[in-house]
Amino acid sequence: MIIVYAGLLLGILGLIFGGVLTFASKKFHVEVDERVGQIKDCLGGANCGACGYAGCDAFAQAVVDGKAPVNGCAPAGAKGIEKISRIMGVEAPEGERLVARVLCQGESGIALDRYEYDGYKSCAVAAGLAGGPKACRFACIGLGDCQDKCKFDAIRMENGIAHIDPDKCTACGACVNACPRSVISLMPVSQSVIVRCRNTDTARAARAVCMDACIGCGRCKKQCQYDAIIVENGLARIDNEKCTRCGECAAVCPCKCIVIE
Amino acid sequence: MLKKTFKRGIHPKQHRGSKRPTQDAPIENYVSDSVVIHMAMNIGTPATPCVKKGDQVKIGQVIGTANGFMSVPVHASISGEVTAVEPIPYLGEGNVTAVTIKNDFYDTWVDDLKPLGSVENVDPALVIPAIRDAGITGMGGASFPTHVKLTFKEGAVCDTIIVNGAECETHLTADHRLMLENSVRIVDGLRAVMRALNVEKGIIAIEDNKPDAIAAMERAAFGRVGVRVQVLKAKYPQGGEKQLITAVTGRQVPAGKLPIDAHVVVLNVGTCAAIADAIIDGKPLVSRICTVTGCVKEPKNLRIPIGTIVEDMIGACGGFSEEPGKIFFGGAMTGIAIPNIQTPTAKSTNGVVVFNEKDAKSLDESACIRCGRCVAACPVGLNPYKIKVAADASDFAAAEKLHVMDCMLCGSCAYMCPARRWLTPSFRFAKDKITAERRAAARKAAAEKGGNDK
Repeated sequence: MIIVYAGLLLGILGLIFGGVLTFASKKFHVEVDERVGQIKDCLGGANCGACGYAGCDAFAQAVVDGKAPVNGCAPAGAKGIEKISRIMGVEAPEGERLVARVLCQGESGIALDRYEYDGYKSCAVAAGLAGGPKACRFACIGLGDCQDKCKFDAIRMENGIAHIDPDKCTACGACVNACPRSVISLMPVSQSVIVRCRNTDTARAARAVCMDACIGCGRCKKQCQYDAIIVENGLARIDNEKCTRCGECAAVCPCKCIVIE
Repeated sequence: MLKKTFKRGIHPKQHRGSKRPTQDAPIENYVSDSVVIHMAMNIGTPATPCVKKGDQVKIGQVIGTANGFMSVPVHASISGEVTAVEPIPYLGEGNVTAVTIKNDFYDTWVDDLKPLGSVENVDPALVIPAIRDAGITGMGGASFPTHVKLTFKEGAVCDTIIVNGAECETHLTADHRLMLENSVRIVDGLRAVMRALNVEKGIIAIEDNKPDAIAAMERAAFGRVGVRVQVLKAKYPQGGEKQLITAVTGRQVPAGKLPIDAHVVVLNVGTCAAIADAIIDGKPLVSRICTVTGCVKEPKNLRIPIGTIVEDMIGACGGFSEEPGKIFFGGAMTGIAIPNIQTPTAKSTNGVVVFNEKDAKSLDESACIRCGRCVAACPVGLNPYKIKVAADASDFAAAEKLHVMDCMLCGSCAYMCPARRWLTPSFRFAKDKITAERRAAARKAAAEKGGNDK
């Protein structure tokens, strides 16, 4: 008999609470824009914070409120931005996909070491000790601060320098901010001919610390038929607008510091 | 006599006996063929070199002029010809300008040394300018300009001067030998500062593991009014400025404040001896005592001209006895590894310690097991394991809230950690970052203020 009473009591309690909840959900209903959820589904979903908001939810809300641009999420990619634009009913902004590139080829063996570093595994810490473990003051230190910050598993450390997988990279820029030497920079994905060096020292000094350093000899500039290469401060720079990706500069570079991706 | 000490702290058992090879070795003079004297000898603004290549210099000649208040001049430590004035990479980030001098071995001093007479009769107003002109910085390791330490802001009261002879750091015996062999000079330096600041109490604090130094200093202080020796328990970091103040006077220096806020000034024994040299003989700071120990054939205490290259010092000690793995400036706890043996010494280099490859090998860190040994060890009373979490996440605001700026990087927590966490390096990094941020904010505020004035 007791089991029946217990069942009845619980049943009645359930009915009462159900009623209260139904009333509350009607009475205290908050209007949520359904676009927030839809936009959130189009984002990178890593909560990387590269957009400047606290996370993906905050960014989606900001887009709906009109505070953030529709293309504010780099990890969403071109497709994601197009979808977000469609949800918001605006024209998708034109813009090429960016990708992070490591502007250093100073692998161990190619770039000389200043000393053997055996301490806390952080580039930022090592950079502050006697000018860094590599003799070149522009070189990738290779202890993986960028790798720790990458939410998309796009960076791997190999042979003492960082390598970025362009397919996985979403150009969120976390690695660019993490690098104490500013070796990583964001470039349009179509820019496939790159000067992979940042050493602005004189040719002699640059060559003394790295086999693959740009010495500013200007052979690439002479070879280029499109006037796309500028040599300043002993370092070659390629103008992306003028470059036709013919790759002739890479063929003549004596230091192999111009590469075709 | 009652032995005093501070709360917490550690006993570095792994380094027990590390002072033994050099503690009975008398100080030897050593002069090398050439010295490299860099201009960033003190914390604060570096000096500007005022000699050029080809100049002949004499010992004690000013080769770098001071830049502003937080800076001291740099003097030639040997006589000879300047062979280079160029930037060199040093222990920190970026290059420092350095003057290379080739020794002519005539040991000629500059002609215009200006002794101020005995410490009893010296004009108190002249002492602090003389200390600045002699280029004296703290010789215990931090290289803080001594005249800045002795110049207080309006209203500050100093009633005690403590001379730091604790030398709690492992391996080093430079201060110990100085106290044995030059005890009168240390007391003279202390008395000069007491006279300059009109302070009546001077305490020489020494750890109880140096009974011979205690006896020598007691003899030297005998009959000197206001000067006495205080024996401390041997514990690390007994020689930390704030720990020493707490142990000797029982006062606490408030967080983020200076010892003068506890009405105390702390000077190293080496600094005191240098002050006495500057006042009695008029000689600037051109040499110091440096312990060379570890994997060298004959560990020694050397008196070297400042700027001597490590390679020469190791040569003077018979060379390496084993394949070296790591070389430090300073002891095993707070020492900084040097990048190569061409590195020159500075005014603050109190020791060169060579580790073999086995000892130098650093171990990988593992996860924190929350045992709390770091908390039990921290002499400042911080929570190292919590600060480490914040620092690793680059959350410097949280680290600042946990008082990382009060950390003095003694390394006690990292020494005790069974998970071998790299605590001290990440605190050092967090402190550097926060200091840089504060400086940038101050500069920005100053720039904005300047803009408004216009």
